[in-house]
Amino acid sequence: MSPRIELERVNKHFGPVHVINDVNLTVQEREFVVFLGQSGCGKTTTLRAIAGLETIDSGAIRIAGRAVQDTRPEERDIAFVFQSFALYPHLTVYENMAFPLRATRTPRDEVDRTVRRVAEVLQTSHLLKRRPSALSGGDLQRVAIGRALVRQPKAMLMDEPIGSLDAKLREEMRVELKRLHVEQGSTTIYVTHDQIEAMALADRIVVMHAGVLQQVGSPEEVYANPVNLFVAQFVGSPVMNVAEVSVTGQDGAARVTVAGAAEGFVFPAALIDRLSVAGAADKPLSLGIRPEALEITLAPQDGAIPVEAHLIEPLGSHDIVDLKMGPGFLRARTRAGLVPGPGTQVWVRADAGRAHFFDSGSGQSLGVRL
Amino acid sequence: MAAVRTTGEVLRHRLAVVSLVVILFVMLAPILWITATAFKPRNLATTVPPTVFFTPEVSPFVKLMVKRSQLREKPTEEQLAAAPWWERLVLEGGEKVVRSGKGAVQPSGYPSRFLNSLIVATVSTVLAVSMGTITAYGFSRFKVKGEDDWLFFILSTRMLPPVVVAIPMFLMYRAVGLNDTHLGLIILYTAFNLSFSVWLMKGFIDEIPKEYEDAALVDGYTRMQAFFKIVLPEAATGIAATAVFCFITAWNEYAFALIMTNKRAQTAPPFIPSQIGSGLPDWTVIAAGTVLFLLPVAIFTFLLRNHLLRGMSFGAIRK
Repeated sequence: MSPRIELERVNKHFGPVHVINDVNLTVQEREFVVFLGQSGCGKTTTLRAIAGLETIDSGAIRIAGRAVQDTRPEERDIAFVFQSFALYPHLTVYENMAFPLRATRTPRDEVDRTVRRVAEVLQTSHLLKRRPSALSGGDLQRVAIGRALVRQPKAMLMDEPIGSLDAKLREEMRVELKRLHVEQGSTTIYVTHDQIEAMALADRIVVMHAGVLQQVGSPEEVYANPVNLFVAQFVGSPVMNVAEVSVTGQDGAARVTVAGAAEGFVFPAALIDRLSVAGAADKPLSLGIRPEALEITLAPQDGAIPVEAHLIEPLGSHDIVDLKMGPGFLRARTRAGLVPGPGTQVWVRADAGRAHFFDSGSGQSLGVRL
Repeated sequence: MAAVRTTGEVLRHRLAVVSLVVILFVMLAPILWITATAFKPRNLATTVPPTVFFTPEVSPFVKLMVKRSQLREKPTEEQLAAAPWWERLVLEGGEKVVRSGKGAVQPSGYPSRFLNSLIVATVSTVLAVSMGTITAYGFSRFKVKGEDDWLFFILSTRMLPPVVVAIPMFLMYRAVGLNDTHLGLIILYTAFNLSFSVWLMKGFIDEIPKEYEDAALVDGYTRMQAFFKIVLPEAATGIAATAVFCFITAWNEYAFALIMTNKRAQTAPPFIPSQIGSGLPDWTVIAAGTVLFLLPVAIFTFLLRNHLLRGMSFGAIRK
């Protein structure tokens, strides 16, 4: 039975720093929720608070409807996977995995059966007699997850469990984690600073910044409709282009001009009305546009503006091209090999349907979509 | 291993080896000398120039263990013939073994002093290390108000040369009846070693990642259980190193033992030099007592040498 986990107005300070700022969140039964944010944003502290490893100053934490904020970690019946794995060096893999069961005085043959079954699932059966120091990073991680699984906990909390693995292994383990969650179905909260991991694993992503929840939503939603500049630039790789722009009406269309650039992108005229409805007519505006929403051609075409390609990053499946625009650059995603080299004159057009407009002052999205 | 060495490197390497041999000889010479003396006949112990080659004998060790008194005349042939081998060694030295009315051999003061040393050093080491470990754990894992001040205060107990408090301690001990008791010495040595033990153990426990305990806590263990099941085994190296240092300090302590004890709880260090032979100090017996006294620490240190080597470099090794 996987429980629902609820946070209600949770606050915590470390000295003068407000690490968890009035956080409200409900994690549904069997849901996989990822806390995403930079280091120091409070995501790990929030996770540790749910586990009972940190106290909170105010608010309530409920696991399966029971308020647990004043109970000790051992009474909460949750499992925790640490970034450092925290496998005990003086115990064998078998003993490490059996350790949580020994706390509950489980009969010996049941301990043995459970450990072997979980080891089977995680393909670590051949490692049981070894000590953690003799294991590779991936195996350490499997054992650490195995130790969390043996107890069949109500909920799994994972603190960057694959953060210290190399890129290839991380990708493998990501798939394995997803498979495990589908099979075991325990309510899971997963902390990471890697937005790709978050997108790949999460049912819902919780973006945190400076102790405050910025946005909670499905990966698609967070990606397609970021509520503010922080989320817009944190989720997605390469990051969303953001530039201060001015919007003017011209020839029955709207011109969105990056500050300092000679020519502006052509947008439908409806943009001007919608911006004024959103109350942003006189405020400084920022345009946010993802690299894949910028379309590059080598020949002039309707509504495209001429720019110079600066740097090209060939990534195999596609290229990322830096375009000189005003004082800065916009990055565009093109098919591999489209732009032959730096200094090439190209034409760029923005996909109006995938453009975002933000209030430059507050950073909030204006919610204007075309 | 560098495959190619320049002449300069070879020369420097040889110089290093030579100087190590010299240093080693200087360090070991006293031990060599005291060991040689322990096996010398009495008349060769204090010759000028010193005797280097001699036929070793065990009579000093026999004399060390039994109570003796001086013979007025030379032992007779019958006496020598009737005596077992070890008693003959004493008789040949011009002394006789003191026996009780029932004929049982009386031991000298040495075995009981040696036992006292063992009891006092072991108990005080166990106490200092266990209290030190718990205290260090507290300082390491919890926010203690004024932590730095407390730690400085603990260390400051080592800043005074211990001997300057010997007289006040003696008076206090006499007032509460702790003079010449095992408990008195144990308390003294425990207190003396505790500050050292706290500081050393704090260094070791700081090195143990907190996540180990966090993991145990969420796995359903209490903090106490986590301490015993995780922290203690992880700190084994530190505990061993601290124990060796504490044991050596307590084992070798001389000044307080001399002042605070005289018979019942006297330890070996003040007793050994008081070994009196016939008229003059018998240096061979003193040397024999010293050699035996060196053994426990040597064995203890040897058994824990691997831990010690790691312990010496604490902080340098990341697990």
